[in-house]
Amino acid sequence: MLDEMLKKFHEVATSPRAQMDKYMKEGKEIVLTAPVYTPEEIVHSMGFVPMGAWGADIKINRAKEYCPAFLCSVVQSILELGINGTYKGAKAIIIPSLCDTLKSLGENWKYAVDGILFIPMTYPQNRKPDFGIRYTKAGYERVIRDLEKVGGKFDEAKLAKSNKIYNEHNQAMRKVDALIAKHPEITAAQRSDIFKSAYFMLKEEHTKMVNDFIAELEKETPEADKLNIITSGILTDAPQLNEIIDDLGLHIVADDVAAQSRQYRTDVPEDSDALEALARKFANMDNCSVLYNVEKPRVQWIVDTAKERGAKGVIVVMTKFCDPEEFDYVPIKKACEGAGLAVALVEVDRQMDRFEQVRTNIETFRDMLMM
Amino acid sequence: MYTLGIDIGSTTSKCVLLKDGSEIIAKSLRVGGLGTKGPDSSVNDIWESEEVKKAGITKKDLDRAIVTGYGRRNYEGGDGEVSELTCHALGARFVFDGLRTVIDIGGQDAKIIRLSEDGRMTNFVMNDKCAAGTGRFLDVMANILTVDVDDFTKIAEESTDASPISSTCTVFAESEVISQLANGAKMPDLIKGICSSVASRVAGLARRVGVQEVCCMSGGVAKNGAVRKALEEELKVNIAFDPLAQHFGAIGAALWAYNEHMRKSKSANK
Repeated sequence: MLDEMLKKFHEVATSPRAQMDKYMKEGKEIVLTAPVYTPEEIVHSMGFVPMGAWGADIKINRAKEYCPAFLCSVVQSILELGINGTYKGAKAIIIPSLCDTLKSLGENWKYAVDGILFIPMTYPQNRKPDFGIRYTKAGYERVIRDLEKVGGKFDEAKLAKSNKIYNEHNQAMRKVDALIAKHPEITAAQRSDIFKSAYFMLKEEHTKMVNDFIAELEKETPEADKLNIITSGILTDAPQLNEIIDDLGLHIVADDVAAQSRQYRTDVPEDSDALEALARKFANMDNCSVLYNVEKPRVQWIVDTAKERGAKGVIVVMTKFCDPEEFDYVPIKKACEGAGLAVALVEVDRQMDRFEQVRTNIETFRDMLMM
Repeated sequence: MYTLGIDIGSTTSKCVLLKDGSEIIAKSLRVGGLGTKGPDSSVNDIWESEEVKKAGITKKDLDRAIVTGYGRRNYEGGDGEVSELTCHALGARFVFDGLRTVIDIGGQDAKIIRLSEDGRMTNFVMNDKCAAGTGRFLDVMANILTVDVDDFTKIAEESTDASPISSTCTVFAESEVISQLANGAKMPDLIKGICSSVASRVAGLARRVGVQEVCCMSGGVAKNGAVRKALEEELKVNIAFDPLAQHFGAIGAALWAYNEHMRKSKSANK
């Protein structure tokens, strides 16, 4: 039963286009949501299927016409997929302004990709004060107006319902993350599939799948302990990377990965104004390289989570040319080492097809933890 | 008990045969690493060596062989594989008492390893994306200058005013060296500048994990006295050198094989 469920997560995670086609056949319309945080609840409430657009491990060719070589490959691969028609049929793409490279993605998208409307979501730097919340809400209103141009209809009550659906999904994802931490037999690859599949399904469907999986896994007796670690970074979905982690007997007991747990830490608060509540959710979010906070609480969050989950070390998976993550790496390394946690830094990008040096790095890290 | 360490690098293959985890019986080195005849030739050299024949050791006496280095996962002649950083740390510590830092400059990458007082690996950093600061950089420059890279140390000693190489990329540095040649720079000054350039890049990497004495160099570039001297000046520490430096990885692999074999024997006897 568990194997069947894991197989299904894998199928969805590795075939986003098939998922897109399935929904389109059902008469549903697709809106792409780019990293790092997009107001999916709005998209969902307006009758669209939000599909995560985090790029893919592909050779970047046409995007080079618009992007310099030193631009993050996640963003370049999103543009490449847009140009080469992989996203054909989608109505729009929402691209947030959370880093400089994402800003340039939106501008390039307008010129490079036909037929898929670019919708900007401009977030404030200071998201917590009232003026920041008002700014976020205004950004969401702009998204709503743009989605109306492609056939969506906004309704406050429907948004309240979608907020609830997303909160339930967040809770399921937090629960599965905590449960996997106690089950070393769930591999890094399988864990990645569970998180990645969430981007290509309606959240109510994914929540059901995850809750069914939780119910089955809770019946199982955990296998023998492996070496506990946590991962940190933007993306850790490369199959070769997860294969290395699994080959070396490491067990991911928590993550600080933008495409994984960072998405599910914060719920939409209860509020009579559903849009205001959604803006407050963004204000409440934290512990992420692209969410400005001069105190950098993310650093201590990593240390505390590692200790709480019994991790011996942290693998920082650095997406090449990701400035926000590179800035955070320095205090993370310092804090982890100060707390007696070993740190390994591995650099990855979407165009990588040789992972031998990554293997050497993680293998040495494993040896260091075992010595 | 006899254990063999096989270190398959990007440009050379090295082997060390160890007796009881403490005595080096034979060692070999062949040009040619991963994907060449180098690894097999290097292993054969061990079994054909005078020392092994004299000691009356045959392949049947071998208890365990461990492969390390860039080509470790594709070589079938071992009983297991271990990361080259772990092996360099073990091998260097075998040679130098109280070792705390290993600077390993190989054919295509550079690594710095920190050890605790009791010899455990506590931190490491790798440069695996760029040829600058590696043996490859020196090979490229030797090729332009039509000088054997092994002669760099001797030639650099004659330098009176090192020519600075400012480019951070091997390809651009190649053009820079050609320009300097065209402008009449002297060969010893250029070679000293090239060695200082490698030292400068590696020192930047080393400072990330911190350098503490006893500090040694391992890998093929360790033989280059000009790079060692430039590194000492950059890092303000003494860099220890041993002629076995290029074999530290293979020694470490043989030691790992010894420890592993002992562990397995103990659990089998329980």
